[in-house]
Amino acid sequence: MRATFAGQWPTLLVAALAGTFGTALLHVTGVLAVAIAADDVTGESDTVALLLGIVATVFIVIAVYVSSVVTANTVSTVVAGRTRLIALLRLIGSSARSQRAQIAREGLLVGVAGAAIGVVVGTGVAFALDRVAVATDLMPATDYGYANPWVALPAVAVVLTTWLASWVGSRRVLKVRPIQAIGNANEHDREELGGRRGRNITALVFFVIGTALLVLGVALGLVSPFGVLIGLVGGIVSFTGIVLGADVVMPPVLRRVGRVFGRTPAARLAAENAVRHPERSARMTIGLVIGVTLVTTFSVTMASYHELILAAQRAQPEVYQGVDEMLNVTVAVFTVLIGFSALIAAIGMVNTLSLSVMQRTRELGLLRALGFDRRQLRGMIVAESAALTLAATLTGVVLGFGYGWAGAQALLGSAQGTPALVVPGIPWALFGGLLVAAAVLTIVASIAPARRAMRVSPVVALAVE
Amino acid sequence: MQIQPSDLGLIARVAELGKRYGSGSGAVTALDDVSLGLRRGEFTAIMGPSGSGKSTLMHIMAGLDSPTSGRAWLGDTDITELSDSALTVLRRRRIGFVFQSFNLVPTLDVRGNIMLPFELDGRRPAQDEQEWIDELVDALGLRDRIDHRPHELSGGQQQRVAIARALATRPDLVFADEPTGNLDSRTGREVLGLLAAASARYGQSIAMVTHDPVAASHADRILFLADGRIVRDAGRSSAEEISTFMLGMERAA
Ligand SMILES: Nc1ncnc2c1ncn2[C@@H]1O[C@H](COP(=O)(O)OP(=O)(O)O)[C@@H](O)[C@H]1O
Ligand SMILES: [Mg+2]
Repeated sequence: MRATFAGQWPTLLVAALAGTFGTALLHVTGVLAVAIAADDVTGESDTVALLLGIVATVFIVIAVYVSSVVTANTVSTVVAGRTRLIALLRLIGSSARSQRAQIAREGLLVGVAGAAIGVVVGTGVAFALDRVAVATDLMPATDYGYANPWVALPAVAVVLTTWLASWVGSRRVLKVRPIQAIGNANEHDREELGGRRGRNITALVFFVIGTALLVLGVALGLVSPFGVLIGLVGGIVSFTGIVLGADVVMPPVLRRVGRVFGRTPAARLAAENAVRHPERSARMTIGLVIGVTLVTTFSVTMASYHELILAAQRAQPEVYQGVDEMLNVTVAVFTVLIGFSALIAAIGMVNTLSLSVMQRTRELGLLRALGFDRRQLRGMIVAESAALTLAATLTGVVLGFGYGWAGAQALLGSAQGTPALVVPGIPWALFGGLLVAAAVLTIVASIAPARRAMRVSPVVALAVE
Repeated sequence: MQIQPSDLGLIARVAELGKRYGSGSGAVTALDDVSLGLRRGEFTAIMGPSGSGKSTLMHIMAGLDSPTSGRAWLGDTDITELSDSALTVLRRRRIGFVFQSFNLVPTLDVRGNIMLPFELDGRRPAQDEQEWIDELVDALGLRDRIDHRPHELSGGQQQRVAIARALATRPDLVFADEPTGNLDSRTGREVLGLLAAASARYGQSIAMVTHDPVAASHADRILFLADGRIVRDAGRSSAEEISTFMLGMERAA
């Protein structure tokens, strides 16, 4: 069973990160709530504490959601790479259901372990932040007790979603046929495509309905800020459509991006690798697309709001004094909070790329035997990593820009009394940050696989299984 | 002046080759003082029971693995002294490979696979090379499959693509390791016929590792290996003669 657990480290890491994030965020909001209650001015109202709670919940839900997408994708990648082993076990009489149940059970255990780590580390992080804030006089000392029962909620959410994601991610186990264990040694190149069409239609329906709602929200937003609520629902529904249809959406993007790297054999193979299994490339990139879209949506909305505030400030400087600074701090804090989900998604991409390279050992050996030198092999892996990262980031930025603008329009279209077009604010700092992050991710994601690829001996391609 | 392998009409040669895996009591001697020369233009089969060292010998001759002792030459190049990158270039330009399975890059179509050695070299085939490739594609019956991906081809067709790729650069030597191991016997015979024709018609030097007497019967020369040593060097033989000798070897063991 050690072999089966070996593939679980990434899932454990993701679960632990989500757990840490949830726990720390709840503790920090707890500390803030106590501090606010003790304050003379704000202490009277419960609204601030309630708002803080809601905001924390939203961010925790996002992080847990992204981490379960990542986990489901990691599990599918692991299962895809283990097809022959699964087929062999099926051949000697193990049922597909029991194998799937086994994977889900492992998921449950990993989820429990990750949640436990998350509670411990998250509490530690929150405590440390608390101390630092008090020591630097940022905040008065509070009597917040860290035995906050609410912390159980993110922990339970992490356990359940890891379990569920393992279950969902392992569905391809059911499609492995025992005969695949004795078929010829050629790599099974085509992943099973069953159920694709049904899902694509669902995806399209979601996208169309969601977009319609979004348009409706924007239109309503011209007369009332409540348009944003309809727009929000529309955004969630249409984005769900995109996530579901990722294996149709992502390959064309990847193909275009892949052309950027030129026509050398390494670059061409990298581009082809990035699109060879639409399902796999969708799996590798969609987490990151979600993360980048969220960050960008939020930033564009806030930047648009900022523009509006700036305009108002120019008209009435006294009224809007200090608003600017507060807005900047809020934006920074929120961006970091959503950015955490993007980080989890990035970890997911690092894993899946690494797994997919590991699963191609024979192919790498073949390339070495045919005359690829080590540098070309490394170049291929780096280009593949860059294609995935760039495609995900670009898609996320484009989607986020659209959603962010729509959100700003729906929210602020009526803000000046008369229906008005909102000029989208462009968060240049964020785009710069994303560019740097994408470059870093490209390198980080390719280090381990490239090193492994360079060590592959050409002899493995000739080895008889 | 020293006598070069090529002066003897040899395309490849090994001298006092030894290969040991592991050390101490667990050490395995895969090759034990092997010396041989492969003649230019010949189709040589290397035979022997499983574990006799056939693959190890081939890997060393192809510059994929290094020996524990002894030397190996391809043409007049001593390949035991070459760096990894020099060996890579050597494989690209002067050696062709046909494996038992997983011969082709799955993301490239037939044309892409055949052209890969040129692309790796960063050049386009010259006029005469292109004509040669076209001839190969036609001779191997791949013309109407040229845009197909490997997974759309049968095992025999995939092997023919691998042969086309191996011959495309007109390498000094083509190595084939159990090239029919994964094919049914009829398709296997077809592939062997193609290799034999490449040698007979175009003078291509080929070294083929196999443990199948029928496969070996297509070769001009058959080297028998047992326990890491050459035990017999025979000319063209029938499958029956080869089988008889192999059986005798097994009995002696
Ligand atoms: N990488 C290796 N590590 C240890 N022993 C090996 C290795 N490769 C081959 N051997 C051993 O060397 C001997 C010859 O192997 P090989 O050349 O593969 O034989 P053949 O191809 O004739 O079956 C065998 O005993 C085999 O077990
Ligand atoms: Mg062998």
